Amino acid sequence: MSDPNCESVCMAAMAMADGYKPPLSPDEVRSHLAVCASCRLEVERLRAVMKLLDAQERRAHSVQVWGQVEGRLREKQVAGNRSFGWRPFFLMGLLLVGFKAIEFAPQWNVGMLFRLLPVLIAATVFGYIRENPFKINLELKLEGE
Amino acid sequence: MRGTMDDALAIRKCREGEGEAFRHLVEQYQSQAISHAVAILGNREDALDAVQEAFLDAYQALGRFDLARRFYPWFYTILRNRCYKLLATRGKREASGLDAAELLAATTCQRPEEVLSLEQALSELTPEERELITLKHLDGLSYGELSERLEIPEGTVMSRLYHARKRLHEKLTRRSTKSI
Repeated sequence: MSDPNCESVCMAAMAMADGYKPPLSPDEVRSHLAVCASCRLEVERLRAVMKLLDAQERRAHSVQVWGQVEGRLREKQVAGNRSFGWRPFFLMGLLLVGFKAIEFAPQWNVGMLFRLLPVLIAATVFGYIRENPFKINLELKLEGE
Repeated sequence: MRGTMDDALAIRKCREGEGEAFRHLVEQYQSQAISHAVAILGNREDALDAVQEAFLDAYQALGRFDLARRFYPWFYTILRNRCYKLLATRGKREASGLDAAELLAATTCQRPEEVLSLEQALSELTPEERELITLKHLDGLSYGELSERLEIPEGTVMSRLYHARKRLHEKLTRRSTKSI
């Protein structure tokens, strides 16, 4: 059985002080510490640091972040409410199909103004949902952001 | 126990669309969250940003939260990710010398300058080392709890804690030598 090295002994001694069961047994640790002065010093230093840290307390921070969080949640909600889904576009599609059906009817002379109807339908739908179909989105967002 | 039941009820209400119910969770855990974020980021200003973002992330993810679990350990993972993301984008702020302790509380057994000196030594550790040491000693987490919270094996917890404490000792020794 090879002797454990100094670092693994010191680590094990520290872990045992923490209440954790390390890979090395207490006998192995004790045997090594009995003959290695530098490890005894190291373990003593570690215990001093642990004792100093155990005497500390976390500082309490009295902050109120709800205001900012609530504001951001509201912004996200408004952005979500502006999403109309598929309904306006389905309606636009129905109207355009209806327009084409009327246009192809040979007995009806629809006239020039009637031919502008698709443009009017599209402009009305986009005006209603307040979106510019020609807008280029310059905001590049990386995945996960 | 009452706190846990309130958390579950708050989360259920949030899922039903009552955004105001999230206030309970924010007010319950904001102080703890700031403190943990300060441990990683090293300053309160960045910690406030990270905590706000983390709460927003948590709100978006509430639909996936398992109500059988406790809220804060789940939230801590989100907060931790936000903190390290902030560190990656902003980098560590230049150490400008602490005027007052932001991580450690003043106690009756120690002089304020001793606490400040320890905090300054802690600030010289890496964020990961500082996080580990503060979770262990200030929150009293066991190796098992640390392993779960930080998503690393217990053996790694042992090794990192050993090295972090060694480095902290070196920093403290250097400070006390300089002050002589």
